[in-house]
Amino acid sequence: MNGKAIRVENLKKNFKKVKAVDGITFDVDYGELFALLGPNGAGKSTTIRILTTLAYPTGGRAEVAGYDVKKQGKEVRKRIGLVSDRLILYDRLTALENIQFFSRLYGLDDKTIMKRSRELLDLLGMWEWKDTFVSKMSTGMKQKINIARALIPEPEIIFLDEPTLGLDPESTMHIRNFISNLSKKGKTVILTTHILHEVELLAQRVAIMNKGKIVAIDTPRNLKKHFKEKEVVEVELEKPIDKNLINGKMVEAVENYFKVEVEDLNSFLKELADLNVKVKSIKTMEPSLEDIFVKLTTEEGMRA
Amino acid sequence: MKALMIAWKDLKFLLRSRTMLAFSIAMPIISMLMMGYIFPQNGGEMKGKIGFYSQDLLFNVMTKSAPSTMVVVYRTKKDLINALAKGDISVGAVIPKNFTTAFAMGKASLDVIPNPANPQAGVVLAQMIPAMMENAKRNAPKKVKVNLTNVDGSAFNYYDFMAPGIMAMIAIMSVSNGLAASITRERELGTMDGLMVTPINRGNIVVGKILAQTVRGVVQALIVLGVSILLFGVTIEGSVWTTILLLILGTFSFIGIGIIITSSVKEQETAQVIMTTITFPMLFFSGVFFPIEQMPKFIQYVAYVFPLTYAADALRKVMTLGVGFSYVKLDVMVLLAFAIVSSVVATLSFQKLIQD
Repeated sequence: MNGKAIRVENLKKNFKKVKAVDGITFDVDYGELFALLGPNGAGKSTTIRILTTLAYPTGGRAEVAGYDVKKQGKEVRKRIGLVSDRLILYDRLTALENIQFFSRLYGLDDKTIMKRSRELLDLLGMWEWKDTFVSKMSTGMKQKINIARALIPEPEIIFLDEPTLGLDPESTMHIRNFISNLSKKGKTVILTTHILHEVELLAQRVAIMNKGKIVAIDTPRNLKKHFKEKEVVEVELEKPIDKNLINGKMVEAVENYFKVEVEDLNSFLKELADLNVKVKSIKTMEPSLEDIFVKLTTEEGMRA
Repeated sequence: MKALMIAWKDLKFLLRSRTMLAFSIAMPIISMLMMGYIFPQNGGEMKGKIGFYSQDLLFNVMTKSAPSTMVVVYRTKKDLINALAKGDISVGAVIPKNFTTAFAMGKASLDVIPNPANPQAGVVLAQMIPAMMENAKRNAPKKVKVNLTNVDGSAFNYYDFMAPGIMAMIAIMSVSNGLAASITRERELGTMDGLMVTPINRGNIVVGKILAQTVRGVVQALIVLGVSILLFGVTIEGSVWTTILLLILGTFSFIGIGIIITSSVKEQETAQVIMTTITFPMLFFSGVFFPIEQMPKFIQYVAYVFPLTYAADALRKVMTLGVGFSYVKLDVMVLLAFAIVSSVVATLSFQKLIQD
């Protein structure tokens, strides 16, 4: 396999006047675990829909496994698996029936179907639930069957759109481990999420999307370094004070609550002590996704 | 092949929802029972009396010989009105003075008041009055009895006219709702994405849905047929196979239209509202309840837009007249054209789904 698993060039998608995807460009190598990170409505799901041939791009081009998503859709579909933000399962069929139904659509013969169903359900620890109707399963169980379904064609490239959304912590952990293992086995994985932590845990590279554009693309470590050069401190004082008395870049100020971006934590603490106001609580914060967006979008604005 | 799998999956879905299955079976039975009983049977035999208030002496003498089960004579006009109000008589007639003399000269007239509770029966009875007069004049009490019969000589009733149309109608109605649900639900739930992300030709999805819904519609229509035969004495004069073939064709011809509509809207509710907007007028325009020939000219043109019109017409000819396939050739050709054109357009419009 040479070349890139995914090649996206100036990709655009408009819904009437809304620019859902507004000219994005990125590449993904084979075997890479690549994440698209962004808030709801950033254009992540639309990007996935275009790459999985479920939507036509309005402009630009995209190649998956070397095939054009618009002109060679069928070739693309043979090589991908999709775990969408909505479950692709029929709730009035059992786990096994779902896997078998979709296997037939992939044109597998009966013998292969039996073998593959067993393998996939075993892989996700769901074989013992094979005769349970999907409607009777918990969200976590459903998602496992859903992932098993996505793996039916033994895809080279797997798209996972918000795979841990709405799951309990245990299922979330299980699914994350599974994704990590897929990547270790050499599969290319494209993951969308709005959880920063998930990206740090799994992704080798991440593109941050906002309002249809990619605002940053790098390894999670580099991105974090970029945003962690300044500390963000959350302080709750016993009584309200004038916010101008506090040094540092004010992010948020509500009466006696302040969120401040500071250059140096120690000097900030010293100054705070000098104010002679009792501190109720103080904590340093990881930059939240919102903070990153505020920062990225204002930087964008300043450059423009 | 792949289309068959999708069809089988859809049918399995229907079979596994007990409520849906129960209602799919109950719906045609209930509709049929309803329609069978609300319409008058045996050609609408009128049970009702005619009340007279006569100022004409000779007329009074004539009514003496009339059977009391049919004719009541009142002394005053007020009695007549009261009898109407109480429902004792279905129609009241006021006979003016010198009515018989005028009648002999051929220029008699009388006022007839139908009972507002059942104006239809009143009108029918009122039409009998001149005939009665005619009989009385000739002094020949023997009446000519006209019997409406079927081909086999059994009594024809309105239900015989309706049953074939209702069969086709129920098949089409249930299919239109089922289709709206089956496509838009898959879109809403996201399983449609799952079908579309597999490397099958997307036309298979449409064909699969068409097959599943046709099977469902035909099964329901056969239930209707069974109920009609068992409970209402409807007979199939023609070939049973032609009847079934026409049912399949009628159902099939409408499904493409259903898919075009449902794949152009996103929500299940919208799809169902649109389908109802189409199927409801179709019921009245397609000659299921009222013969098309009795409708105003422009409505007749509208009627020919709906495939149900042709399905009902062909089924009626085969079931009540017992004619063979060659007599319904035109209907069959039109239905086929509907089916093919709409299925092709449906498959194309379904491809457009992918664009957003």
